[in-house]
Amino acid sequence: MSENQNTSNCRISRNVLIKAPGLLPMLYTPREIAEDLAVPETTLRDWLNHGAPHSRDKSNHIWIDGKEFAAWVDSQRNARKKPAHPLQAGEGFCMRCNTIVKIQNGKIHPVKGHLSHLKGICPICGGIVNRGIWNAGSAELSQS
Amino acid sequence: MLDRQNYLKVKLFLKYSRDVHGRSSLQISNDFEHLKALLLWAGSQPLGSVHAFNSSLSDFLFQVGEKGLDQAELQGVLNTNQRFLLWVKAMFPVEFQNIRLSWIMKITAISKGKEVII
Repeated sequence: MSENQNTSNCRISRNVLIKAPGLLPMLYTPREIAEDLAVPETTLRDWLNHGAPHSRDKSNHIWIDGKEFAAWVDSQRNARKKPAHPLQAGEGFCMRCNTIVKIQNGKIHPVKGHLSHLKGICPICGGIVNRGIWNAGSAELSQS
Repeated sequence: MLDRQNYLKVKLFLKYSRDVHGRSSLQISNDFEHLKALLLWAGSQPLGSVHAFNSSLSDFLFQVGEKGLDQAELQGVLNTNQRFLLWVKAMFPVEFQNIRLSWIMKITAISKGKEVII
């Protein structure tokens, strides 16, 4: 029987992300898997409390399937990835507000070749927002 | 599922290699990677019966290695497995009495026509 108590995300180190796919399709004890991944056993038990797949036998001993655990580690990596938000036409990233804003009063300055420079004002804080535009035929240029 | 006893024997061998032969952490790590091939080849069967398998270890490595193996890498894997089998036969003579020394010595031989794959 398997048990999942808490399914919140865990911070998984890069070393574990690299080593986890090498786990074998067999049942490990927590100590063995901690040794193979070079993490403290307490850390591993913390992951088990946070939803890492495991099961208990009749004697209440914990067993971890290597392949299931590797899949869980991989899912944790994907869960921590922030969704990408490509900047749309007329948008820029305000360094003061630390967010994506719609640039006001944008002016485009050609820099070199296909590269141009869009400079405008943040609608939230009134600060200057800069953005590089790679393609000379982009939507920003057609708007200006 | 792999046989846990096989895994425990491999772990014991790695500990012995480190403590007695003084092999470094990197060598131990490489040896473990090489011995994973033997564990996967044996599967759920005990290592004491590997001599009775239909396919050889080198053939298994050719099947598993999707990206291909070069000769030196393959020979390294087979040599490590030979060292392990010699050790395990010495340490567990009753369990491994059916595995002959001549069979272990031949495990490093690569089948003809498969010498080099890159």
